[in-house]
Amino acid sequence: MLLLPLPSPPETVGRARLAERFVPLGLVLEADPSQLKRARDFVAAAAAEFGFARKAAYELVFAVNEAVTNAIKHGSPDEDGNVWIGIEADGDSLVCTVRDRGPFVPRSSDESGESGRGFHFMTALTDDFELVVEPEATVVRLRKLLPTSALVARA
Amino acid sequence: MGNFQVSDDLLDGGVRVLRVAGDVDFDVAPQFKRRISSYIDAGERGVVIDLSAVDFIDSTAIGVLVGAIKRLRLAGGSLAVVCDNDEVRGIFEAVGLENVIPLHNSPEDALAALAVAA
Repeated sequence: MLLLPLPSPPETVGRARLAERFVPLGLVLEADPSQLKRARDFVAAAAAEFGFARKAAYELVFAVNEAVTNAIKHGSPDEDGNVWIGIEADGDSLVCTVRDRGPFVPRSSDESGESGRGFHFMTALTDDFELVVEPEATVVRLRKLLPTSALVARA
Repeated sequence: MGNFQVSDDLLDGGVRVLRVAGDVDFDVAPQFKRRISSYIDAGERGVVIDLSAVDFIDSTAIGVLVGAIKRLRLAGGSLAVVCDNDEVRGIFEAVGLENVIPLHNSPEDALAALAVAA
């Protein structure tokens, strides 16, 4: 006879449980544009694991891709030429941190309208966008909340 | 690399259709920009960019599209974009870009929009 685990009672799959179940992840990337796809795949897998539906996962991947692109473009990578991405759960949101070891370079205004949209996208596609400028590092933190509907679906 | 690929056709009416596939990010945006610019430089004034097979497009690549639209408009031409991917559409809509770059559901719709603009 095949014994199947009993489904968890709904009340135990609350917001706090989501964070408990999600193991924090980190990825060290060479600061090279060819690595952007790796960054996106990493975030996409984490977002799916956390329970984001396709659209929300795509938005988070897009936003983190912008942060990593900025780190590669403007940030000086660390002594090994790396950019660091961390993903951790906080309650019912997923927090992605992108860190490079370069001083923050304010973007120049672009009259052509061809660039400079990255921050606008990061703000629009996530629930919180934080830029921390340290003397020897630039850190971007992006928070995406799991929609209530996804919480209900998991319960 | 996200399997970025482009192919193109020149239609009878002189419209250039560029089909893009895979991921269009900062890594390949310069290549994407050169390809579009080559048509405009050669004097072509009607361009359709078909993003139907695109999995991902970043702000750099969107900037290339905006730049090409402006260049063509100044030259008396026009550019239309085909995109039936809901995720990509969602990104444009999140920042109100669908007003700057109208997205068409099919190449036929895009060609019709070019004809109206011409």
